Amino acid sequence: MKVLTFGWDFPPQTTGGLGIACQGLTREIAQEGVEVIFVLPKSQIVAGTQRFIFADSSKSIKIHEVFSSLVPYGTERTMVDVFDRITGRRLYSRKLMEEVREYANKAAKIAEEEDFDLIHAHDWTAYLAGVAAKVVSGKKLIIHVHATTFDQAASDNIDPEIFNIELEGFSQADQIIAVSHYTKKMLVEKHKVPAGKISVVHNGCDTEDPPCYEPTLQNLKQQGKKIVLYHGRITVQKGVDYFVRAARIVVDHDPNVVFVISGKGDMEAQIMQQVASQGLSDHVIFAGALWYEERDRMYQSADLVVMPSVSEPFGLVPLEALQNGSPSLISKQSGVAEVISHVLKVDFWDVEEMANKILATLRYPVMQQQLVNEGKRELQKLSWREAARKVLQVYERVMQFMHQEVC
Amino acid sequence: MLSVCPYFHVHQPYRVKQYRVFDIGNDTEYFNDSGLSDLNNRKIIEKVADKSYRPMNHLLHQMLEDHPEFRFALSFSGTVLDQFEQYAPDVLASFQSLVATGRVEVLADTYHHSLSFFYSIPEFERQVAKHAKRVYDLFGYTPAVFRNTELSYRNDLAKWCEDHGYIGIMAEGWDPILGWRSPNHLYRPVGCARIKALLKNYKLSDDIAFRFGNRAWESHPLSAETFADWIFKHHGDASTINLFMDYETFGEHQWEDTGIFDFMAALPDKLLAHPDTTFKTPTETVKAYEVVGEIDVPDVLTWADTDRDLTAWTGNDIQKDALSRTYAMESDVINTGDDSLTETWRKLTTSDHFYYMCTKWSADGDVHAYFSPYQSPYDAYVAFMNALSDLQLRVSHALQQKSVQEELLKAETEAIEKPVPKANEPAYGFWKRIVYFVSTKVKYIIGSLKVHFYKKYANQKTSHQKSSQKDS
Repeated sequence: MKVLTFGWDFPPQTTGGLGIACQGLTREIAQEGVEVIFVLPKSQIVAGTQRFIFADSSKSIKIHEVFSSLVPYGTERTMVDVFDRITGRRLYSRKLMEEVREYANKAAKIAEEEDFDLIHAHDWTAYLAGVAAKVVSGKKLIIHVHATTFDQAASDNIDPEIFNIELEGFSQADQIIAVSHYTKKMLVEKHKVPAGKISVVHNGCDTEDPPCYEPTLQNLKQQGKKIVLYHGRITVQKGVDYFVRAARIVVDHDPNVVFVISGKGDMEAQIMQQVASQGLSDHVIFAGALWYEERDRMYQSADLVVMPSVSEPFGLVPLEALQNGSPSLISKQSGVAEVISHVLKVDFWDVEEMANKILATLRYPVMQQQLVNEGKRELQKLSWREAARKVLQVYERVMQFMHQEVC
Repeated sequence: MLSVCPYFHVHQPYRVKQYRVFDIGNDTEYFNDSGLSDLNNRKIIEKVADKSYRPMNHLLHQMLEDHPEFRFALSFSGTVLDQFEQYAPDVLASFQSLVATGRVEVLADTYHHSLSFFYSIPEFERQVAKHAKRVYDLFGYTPAVFRNTELSYRNDLAKWCEDHGYIGIMAEGWDPILGWRSPNHLYRPVGCARIKALLKNYKLSDDIAFRFGNRAWESHPLSAETFADWIFKHHGDASTINLFMDYETFGEHQWEDTGIFDFMAALPDKLLAHPDTTFKTPTETVKAYEVVGEIDVPDVLTWADTDRDLTAWTGNDIQKDALSRTYAMESDVINTGDDSLTETWRKLTTSDHFYYMCTKWSADGDVHAYFSPYQSPYDAYVAFMNALSDLQLRVSHALQQKSVQEELLKAETEAIEKPVPKANEPAYGFWKRIVYFVSTKVKYIIGSLKVHFYKKYANQKTSHQKSSQKDS
């Protein structure tokens, strides 16, 4: 089986959840014997269409780069910035829309040239590319929903243009893969997609432990301070403002706690303002965006990691935290809450309960330890291989339909 | 002769409300949730009373009336009796009138449905005594057969029961304990001489308690006739069929629409249709049959899940932590001498709290096997530990107050008992005391010397006188 896959970014060029998910899934799907042709709108200046083979992975993964006239973003920019522009200021998002359409044009050409059996498009930026490839080739299209515009807006105040692209993609898709039941429900309720058309494949994670680092924030730890970490983009979707409100309540009861906010985003100024006006400046550290070793080091230093998302289709944070030996408190409005039970859960808006659970975790170290020990055991079941097998089942089902139609 | 021994366990815990860290030190009501959740104890009692206690008691009355041979046993936790009294006194009254028929036996138990036997025997004994008193006060009845929380059993518990005058004890009729032997006879606990163990026939009991309403079960729907036939098959090689289950099986675990009430209503007729079949209470069973062998249970045996052990209560670290912290408070709590604090602490020893913290489902694969009113085992742990922390504060406060009061009292009694110092005695002060001490000693020595010399002088004088008399 040969699958033409469209993505938007791919590590190590990016560090967002989407890229990590694409990498993990693609690697394991290829392991199962599927030939994957991965198409990307390359963010580096590469004239023309280039084809190369991934050096660190299976030979069957070919990476296509589509030249897009509107790139580059500059070397430091990541997916984070792209999404920030969408959720923040519409003015910039037009540029992104043009890129998305340009990507679709190129996708049609690639689809003409390539030989493949199926199309798999990851995330809304690649939906139109997938649709274009389907129109050209007549092959079946699978759309993989990693988020919707409702998640990013954290409300019904959505971007109508993205919504239209989503509707177009979902109606053209032969099968839809959602990263959680939470997202599936949203597609059924908001986009009116028939439930039978959606399969749920939860994301996985890498099951091997990262190396153990020297803890960061040594001084604070030596003073006996407890560290509570937020890691993620600072946007309305991620609920950082609720985290700060909970921090106020926690500090009132235990002044020995330090809150670390690691990430960047369009809400950063607002959050800093909130921290100052709540009188929390001595208790909140803005660490900037941390990646790779720095990120793992921070995870390892934390006594608790909080993911207070208003709407989280999946949410890799608690899994990454567990890999680094830290327990998590996550919002119930997340997909990952469906697959992991050794984690504390709270409604994102219930800041009192959020504070209660933060304080309780710091107060009762036995629970803290059990959440990590048991959680790590649970993590073993959430491999990318397991996710890839489910994707494969979807591929096979769609192929069967195709054969039936031919007959 | 084959007898059937039905026994139903009645219990509700005092569930801890969602007690938060910030409530510690500010809120002493741990069990008074008044919301819509399943932590609202009053709401649960009222709900289960409607679904189970009222209709089933009504039916049991009817069955006793219709069948003079029908009899059964009940056990009550003290916590359910207290809650009946508080929230559903009519239910308590209907249980009392059942027992008043003389054909319903009440069993001994711990008051607080606790695992105290395995953590503190003195506390276990206090809870058993409290339970016995409550049962006597309510039912005018002194239990003779013992059952422990969750049917937990061990050799030393049987020995304890024998030493304390019980004639029977209940346990799970678990195959690994019995080997090829049948649970349908009486057994002698190892190391005991008189007490007899009644073993639950878990296959037949669970057909009613767990499988009755299961549509996927091959024997669904189960009729009283079929069930009676299953029991009749044991004629000839059995003395008693012990059907032990939660009372809440009727109407709560198995809803009315499963036909459970109709099934029970029909059962005595079907069973008594066989000429050689009858009903016996546990005491009657113990008195009617001799033991056929010994059972040896060195490790805790319970009637819970597929493991039949205590792992659903003590299996993970948070459960062990909560249990050890609870029992670590015992001597402090008792030392306060404060009944209300002690009772609150005992309500926290109820085994259900620890069961709600169970995370075994990840291994057993069946989330629904572990019912809990909390959204997660961690929520249960946090609420419990917060409440326990508050109780710890109250206990240490009470102990402080007590020691202050004791000192005051001591000072007062000393002041009363101590003779008032004489006016010419010097006041306190170290050197003054020394001086006083030394001076009194000196005075004493001088005084005694004086006496000595005086006596000597007097002797001389008298001898002089005597000699002078002689001389004269």
